[in-house]
Amino acid sequence: MPPTSSQLLLSPAELSYLHSSLSLTPPIRPDGRTTTQFRPLVAESGIIPSANGSARVCFSDGTEAIAGVKAEVEKSQWRPGSTEQSLQVDEDGGDDEAGQAGTQGTGENSWISMSIEVPGFRDDDALPVFLSAMLTEALLADGKLKDRLWINRRFHWKLYIDILLLSAPLSYPLPLLSLTTHLALLSARLPKLKSEGDEDPLFDDDWEASTYLYPRDTKGACLDRPPITLLVIAVGPNFVFDPSKEELAVAEAVIALSAGTSDASTLNKNLRLLSIRTIDPPSRLTPLGIPDALSSAATGSAPLPPDEQLAAREGTDEHGVWNPPRGGMKRAVLAQIIKAVIEPGGVAQEVMDGLMHVEV
Amino acid sequence: MPISILPPAPAPSISYGADPSDSDDDFDLDGDIDMEGTSRGLKRPRTSQRHIVTPGELVTDDTQWMRGHGAYHPPDSTAIHSSVFGTILKTNKLLSIIPLRARYTPEIGDLVIGRIIEVQQRRWKVEVAAPLLASLPLSGINLPGGALRRRTAVDELNIRNFFTEGDLLVAEVQSVYESGQATLHTRSTKYGKLRNGFFMSVSGAGGGGLARKGGIARSRRQVFTLSTGRGGGDIDVILGVNGFIWIAKHVKPKMEEGPNRLEESVSMDVYSSQNNDIGVETRREIARVAGVIRALVEGGRRVDEEMVVKAYEVSLEMEEGMDVEGGDFLGGEKGRRVVEAVMSG
Repeated sequence: MPPTSSQLLLSPAELSYLHSSLSLTPPIRPDGRTTTQFRPLVAESGIIPSANGSARVCFSDGTEAIAGVKAEVEKSQWRPGSTEQSLQVDEDGGDDEAGQAGTQGTGENSWISMSIEVPGFRDDDALPVFLSAMLTEALLADGKLKDRLWINRRFHWKLYIDILLLSAPLSYPLPLLSLTTHLALLSARLPKLKSEGDEDPLFDDDWEASTYLYPRDTKGACLDRPPITLLVIAVGPNFVFDPSKEELAVAEAVIALSAGTSDASTLNKNLRLLSIRTIDPPSRLTPLGIPDALSSAATGSAPLPPDEQLAAREGTDEHGVWNPPRGGMKRAVLAQIIKAVIEPGGVAQEVMDGLMHVEV
Repeated sequence: MPISILPPAPAPSISYGADPSDSDDDFDLDGDIDMEGTSRGLKRPRTSQRHIVTPGELVTDDTQWMRGHGAYHPPDSTAIHSSVFGTILKTNKLLSIIPLRARYTPEIGDLVIGRIIEVQQRRWKVEVAAPLLASLPLSGINLPGGALRRRTAVDELNIRNFFTEGDLLVAEVQSVYESGQATLHTRSTKYGKLRNGFFMSVSGAGGGGLARKGGIARSRRQVFTLSTGRGGGDIDVILGVNGFIWIAKHVKPKMEEGPNRLEESVSMDVYSSQNNDIGVETRREIARVAGVIRALVEGGRRVDEEMVVKAYEVSLEMEEGMDVEGGDFLGGEKGRRVVEAVMSG
């Protein structure tokens, strides 16, 4: 079998063409999309009967992922600090109120565990570890999810999120995994608690009575939504959402933005930015294109030594020659990207609304 | 509408034994596939869409059948077993299995597009979507300074001046080894390094090809120039038989008179990796042609000059007649409409 290189190998001429097309105003993407347009994707949720919540998402480039959310009851570890806090609450009011008030700020980060399986990678390789850290970070950032896992002072839910990438990672799989996790969490339900106070928890057998992990109102609209993480690339003055693998290959900067619902009020549907991470763009490692003027294939002479060639190349600024990008991205572009993501009616809002309509 | 989310397509319903006219494809009691259905005396090749055979599966032990592609006899047996995963094709008494999916099988004379993967001492290894990497020997290229120039040790040392890792080239299959490994050559002005355009890959001509849907088939003309609308100028489209496609701005070859014409053109720009100036309109039309080809492949249609030209015209008409919502993106529903219009008109 020929080698299956995970990194896309492109010739300098292709890189130059893609880069200059994306640098135009407005940019021309190789598949004709607008800058904020996503490729159509196929999604369904509630596909695994034995999981609390699950989803499957297929992107049109052939990558596909399944996520499952499984909740288990676990004994809470006794911590001096937390006991004091709940004792204080106990002094303030009765047992019942302690159950309500105790949910504030009692969640622990370790109650959510995420594992990502990417074919061709070991589970301790950098890519799956980094991806799961990034997704967990966004989940924990709003602080509300982990509090919802609190059952009573002795028990809590432990949430296992398992994401399985079914296809080879053709492009950076972060948006795919994030959207799949979002859908799985949206459909996740926990059985209704029947026991009271600090007893051993007892649950209602009726699955119809179960409650959504992300609570909904009586009409079924979500009061709170899981965060989503989007991948954006910047090329020159432009930025592009949902980059294809060719676009990713010429990106000057790749950033991952997590957006979640704001905790102030769920009625105004403002989103807030939870995290931004930059990802090393693969274009930095590409070889530079050689301009015709310096090409020794044309003259048939022996080529210059590499250092002299590099020095001769440094001053030239010819169009149509590939130059690997240097430096970071402009702050103005970053500000524009953040605005495009979180503004009301922006990209994150549209994606979340689109995912809301996926039928369970 | 930046995002469109579709529900998954339902699995195709399989109704076994519902169609009595095709009963000869049913499994008989012995567990192999009954081959008695030839009494109709059909001359045209027939494919069975209902049964999919897996590698190693017994197709028939009837000795009247001859073994074709994708089938084998186990040692000391005359039964025919399948060696691939696919459907059965019967041509008179010849029995072959057409794989559902296959990589490209090189044949002599094929025009292919390849990407350099590895540089060795006197040759390049080229990815052409075949099971093995093809090889392009240093003697298989036109060297600058005249077609008949001797290859020297200097050329061997400077092999990366001509092609280096990642470079795209269009070439012809010169010979195929018994293992299926192809040897390429670029000894014509038609062939050489590619620039000024965009690369995409679809499925190419694999084994058989009759039952497979979509992708590039071998045709009379693999390279053609498309004159585009909206000020795009001429666009070259190269459909490699292996499923790799190059869509580029058409650059007029320099026609210099005299005996040195070939030398001149070889020395000037054959191994250049610098793009010419490409206008905005041209870039937009290149993206449109790529979208059209992608829509054709997703619709399970064959890709050749006739189809691409027709589909391109249809997409232009649609653009003028209808909404411009969603930009020039030809995916999903819009692509389906283009393919439908091409097939109906």
